[in-house]
Amino acid sequence: MFPVRCFTCGKVIASSWEAYKQRIADGEDKAAVLDDLGITRYCCRRIFLAHVELVDIMAPYQ
Amino acid sequence: MEIDVLELSDRSAKFILSNTTAAFANGLRRAMLADVPTLAIDDVNVYNNTSVLYDEQLALRLGLIPLVTSFDDFVPQDECTCEDGCPACVISLTLSVEATADEGRMVYSGDIVSSDPKVQPAEMNIPIIELKVNQKVVLEGVAHMGYGRDHAKWQAGVACGYKNLPIITIDGCDRCGACVNVCPRNILCLGDKFVEVSDESRLNCSLCGLCQDACEIDAISVTENESSFIFTMESDGSYTVNELIINAVNTIKRKASSMGDILSTL
Ligand code: SF4
Ligand code: SF4
Ligand SMILES: [Zn+2]
Ligand SMILES: [Zn+2]
Repeated sequence: MFPVRCFTCGKVIASSWEAYKQRIADGEDKAAVLDDLGITRYCCRRIFLAHVELVDIMAPYQ
Repeated sequence: MEIDVLELSDRSAKFILSNTTAAFANGLRRAMLADVPTLAIDDVNVYNNTSVLYDEQLALRLGLIPLVTSFDDFVPQDECTCEDGCPACVISLTLSVEATADEGRMVYSGDIVSSDPKVQPAEMNIPIIELKVNQKVVLEGVAHMGYGRDHAKWQAGVACGYKNLPIITIDGCDRCGACVNVCPRNILCLGDKFVEVSDESRLNCSLCGLCQDACEIDAISVTENESSFIFTMESDGSYTVNELIINAVNTIKRKASSMGDILSTL
């Protein structure tokens, strides 16, 4: 699951994740979407860029 | 000490603090990060959890969700006058969500039901856990007031920081343009006779000094005003930044006066 807060600065970032994911899937530019969502610091941005969703991979083994 | 507000909204602020010392600016920063108590879930009773997350991970995610807090209504439990828990120091929140047999479902912070209408998640669309078909979570979270110095979930101030006010002086410039090209923040521009900086863009200067190095005749110099600070801060949503600053200053005052009391008894 996407981290609730940025590890470094503590900003609540999870609330922007679904909007980000949707807009990237629609083909928008990542940097522009992050700027637009107000994720301006690079500590928060790297979490969006590097996140890997594992729920679907783990779900069959529950 | 003077304060000049540049930007102010519910969640973030930027201001210039002048005629003060770095020690005071840092005291303010630390008070916002560590000494203003907020509410956060820190005890979780899990009755049922068949999701992909372990109970502990679920509890961590719940703890990190900011809860709207009223500074006057709640107190940390060990500073409360009660024996073992009262509505002023212990708030119960429940989360009970089940996915159907055909469809999974995302659990959001908005699904949390609070026993006190004044206490609500500051944001309703924080994903907590994605439930696959037939999975469910049923739990009770107990929120306490706590301090940011003990755990990040109680940290109300986010990214509080300051830098010295830059002073850019230009004297004897021959308008060669080398400094304009090298400035990474594009804040210098060529005027009619020499290089110019506008007051507004000056605040953006990162004090990197590249322009000084680029100038072959030492016509530009960048120094810091050591008694003025550009302060930026954000709130996680548990308080507005206004309340956060006021509460931070009050904690400093309280600490200073108790220090005074201690000193006067020596
Ligand atoms: S110190 Fe750096 S940021 Fe500031 S004006 Fe010079 S080159 Fe630009
Ligand atoms: S590098 Fe020096 S001389 Fe050239 S424009 Fe900048 S301040 Fe003027
Ligand atoms: Zn961050
Ligand atoms: Zn109590």
